[in-house]
Amino acid sequence: MRLRLLTAAWLAAATPLGAQGLTARDSALHALNRLAYGPRPGDVDSVARMGVMRWIEQQLDPDHLRDDRLAERERAFKVLDYDRAELAQRYMEAIRERQRIQHDMADSGDSMEPRRGQPGPMREFRELGGDLQQLAVVRAALSERQLREVMVDFWTNHFNVFVGKGADRFLMPSYIEETIRPHALGRFEDLLIATARSPAMLFYLDNAQSIAPGAMPPFPLARNGRGGQGVRARGGTNGRPRPTGINENYARELLELHTLGVDGGYTQQDVIAVARIFTGWSIERPQQGAGFVFRDWAHDRGEKRVLGVTFRDGGMDEGVRLLRFLAAQHATMHHVSAKLCARFVADEPPDGCVDAAVEAWHATNGDMRAVLRAIFTSPDFWAPQAARSKVKTPLEFLVSAVRATGAEPDETPRLAQVVARLGEPLYLQPAPTGYAETQAQWVNSGALLARMNAAVALAAGRLPGAAANLDVVIPLTSDHSQLIDMVNVRLLGGAMSPRTRAVILEQLADVTDPVQARALAVGLTLGGPEFQKQ
Amino acid sequence: MTVSRRAFVKSGGLALFSLGLDPLFLGRAAYALRRPAPSSAVLVCLFQRGAVDGLNMIVPHGEPLYYRERPRIAIPAQDVVDLDGHFGLHPSLAPLKALWDNKSLAAIHAIGSPDATRSHFDAQDYMETGTPGVKSTADGWVNRYCSHDREHADTPFRAVAFGPQLPRILAGSAPSLAIDDLQAFGLRIPQEATRDRLTRAFEQLYEGAATGLLASSSQEGFEAIQMLKRVDPAQYRPAADVEYPPGRLGRTLLQIAQLIKADVGLEIAFADSGGWDTHVNQGSSDGQLAARLRELGLGLAAFALDLGDRMRSVVVLTMSEFGRTIRENGNSGTDHGHATAMLALGGPVNGGKVLGRWPGLGVEQRFEGRDVAVTTDFRDLFGELLVRHLGAADLASVFPGFDPNPQKFPGAIRG
Repeated sequence: MRLRLLTAAWLAAATPLGAQGLTARDSALHALNRLAYGPRPGDVDSVARMGVMRWIEQQLDPDHLRDDRLAERERAFKVLDYDRAELAQRYMEAIRERQRIQHDMADSGDSMEPRRGQPGPMREFRELGGDLQQLAVVRAALSERQLREVMVDFWTNHFNVFVGKGADRFLMPSYIEETIRPHALGRFEDLLIATARSPAMLFYLDNAQSIAPGAMPPFPLARNGRGGQGVRARGGTNGRPRPTGINENYARELLELHTLGVDGGYTQQDVIAVARIFTGWSIERPQQGAGFVFRDWAHDRGEKRVLGVTFRDGGMDEGVRLLRFLAAQHATMHHVSAKLCARFVADEPPDGCVDAAVEAWHATNGDMRAVLRAIFTSPDFWAPQAARSKVKTPLEFLVSAVRATGAEPDETPRLAQVVARLGEPLYLQPAPTGYAETQAQWVNSGALLARMNAAVALAAGRLPGAAANLDVVIPLTSDHSQLIDMVNVRLLGGAMSPRTRAVILEQLADVTDPVQARALAVGLTLGGPEFQKQ
Repeated sequence: MTVSRRAFVKSGGLALFSLGLDPLFLGRAAYALRRPAPSSAVLVCLFQRGAVDGLNMIVPHGEPLYYRERPRIAIPAQDVVDLDGHFGLHPSLAPLKALWDNKSLAAIHAIGSPDATRSHFDAQDYMETGTPGVKSTADGWVNRYCSHDREHADTPFRAVAFGPQLPRILAGSAPSLAIDDLQAFGLRIPQEATRDRLTRAFEQLYEGAATGLLASSSQEGFEAIQMLKRVDPAQYRPAADVEYPPGRLGRTLLQIAQLIKADVGLEIAFADSGGWDTHVNQGSSDGQLAARLRELGLGLAAFALDLGDRMRSVVVLTMSEFGRTIRENGNSGTDHGHATAMLALGGPVNGGKVLGRWPGLGVEQRFEGRDVAVTTDFRDLFGELLVRHLGAADLASVFPGFDPNPQKFPGAIRG
């Protein structure tokens, strides 16, 4: 109730709470930098005109925003046409084909590495991965539901899965489409349960092969010699040992990364108990669709205690109960809220916004829209020192440059490859931590040079995969001073330092061709220090 | 937090002057004063991704069980390049025999991870983070060494990975470079004049308006570009009669040699090679694995010959995430196993020896009844190289949760 009243209060207010230091345009720019992938031409004015708080409310309710243009573009992505069972079949076929080729190549004494440029049976899955990456870039660049795309990226990292690990090559599309996206602005508990049940996570963190010690399947899996690589628990074929006990990987990361946090007050005994609770949570074989399955025979029927709570005789319900319990822990609320604030407010967020987020979480049982609203209305979010204090991630940098220059991303994976070169290959973080929210992960000399290269290429119309539409953003002019003023306002929202202005002006001194002058000014600006910040 | 630590790392040698001075200035000053000595030690790490079959690389030809378990893929005794009567080199590695004879090549057998995983992904991750069994470690052990050990000069080329991206082993807060191609590092603009001009313009922009990590990192990048331009590593052609094998590995080794000769302060170089996951028809004296080993042997031999006297202070280490099954499988290949073998090569190496305790191939001596048991934790070898070759002072922070014990070092570096 209190939250609602508060919301009504800002909607009525001309400027957000605590934003006295920011003009209406500055507030709009700040919101577009954090809740969206930066402004497109004209966005700052239109958000300022509409009122930034109203725009934020719209973003928090994305289902009421039309997104026709993106929907049209999404049709070109064939990755959205396949379902998991179909992909599982094709993956098994690809594995068999690869084995056949390896036989043939080995007979001729050749290397196992497929020759460069030759298709190879796994090409389809490499392409699928590229398709999925590019789809993320296109959605981030074009969607009207910007906050939802930002939250999809946030949760994809929070519940990280590495697409390069075996079966995750084909499980990833359904993980993004069916597990993450529908819950991006929903209740945390629902998302947590969805990830726990997702074949992608069950495979990535090895829970699929975690079984109660001594448990035996009703019929030996080993007898079925056909297929199964990559999905079935390791065992049976090739003389590899059958899994013989619990695997703690998922249990540990669930507590440390997904919920309570590393200082969340759990012990190794809790980790073991959690692993025992999740014994039996597994994946069907690919022939059966590679979906979630609970294997009763593999479940540990003994009593387990987690953080003082007892679980027994519940079968699969034990795990669901545990996930609900974890989602409702104060440590979880604090850990996830602090991470959200690190994304939206500052690398090391002030306590005020974190406390506000936790309070909203308590009040709404983890409704992410309420939690986010609490962050976006906290004075910390609007403090003048918060504006432009965060370094953009590679994805944020590239997509914001594409949006700022009115560029249109194509369907090829080339822009996603640029994001990878900048240091953030999407879905390819092997560690379960996901990518960091903080600048230390992104800023190194090679990565900065790569950003400068991408900026210069984009400005010169040479960036593969995106044609900039500079005429719309920065009309040609032979007056260099006017050109730089325009670049400053349109690309940096007026944040250009006098020093930057002087350096660019000096560079332009002997350039007479207005097209060349514009490309130079835009390239230096997008690759320069101010544009790396948000 | 990270920013201040980096600033501290950079200015470590100048703490006296640090009061009230801008860290950026200090960084530059520290850099100028601490130009590396040309003879400083270098470690080159070569990761064989996919799990090399240690038993066919360093062949225990003195063990009848080796031949009994591998009827189709064992290296026939007459083909093995004998080393000590018990072990020998795969014939493809014959180019390395001269280095064994002059005592600059050692093999470490039965080495690996205390973690039992047979997943490439997990095992590579553990070998690079240096924390077997702990998946959430964010940084790599080489980077932790660089950020904790402040005794060494801090140049943009201190730790360099050859490849398009920074590998896990170099991930972390200490400066490190990923270089795909030495000749193309920097702004990618074909005309040199335009490139120089834009580079200078960006440098001025960052000098003027960047703060914190953006400032220090961009400065490192521009320093690296300037140094490369000044020393022009490409001018260092391979020594006479040295021919690197064609392919990525040879090209990378050549570029590492160029960086070493250019004296830019390189301390640790990292490169990787693929194609070692030989589940099917891996071959014997010839075939698939033989082809991969031939490239490796020719590449390492060329590298050692090219560097000549400079090899006195260089150690090359090969590593791989685990070994392969003792018994060949039904497809004339081998499956994921446990311990493998690594090679150490260079002047400081205690060469001419197969190091480590050989556990034997008997069923009761095996790990889980099928694989070569691990008798040397890979961290004992890596730790020894850091301490005895590079002079690291503090291993506890490089390998957290591990108790480094010099008694357990395999003895890869000459005393």
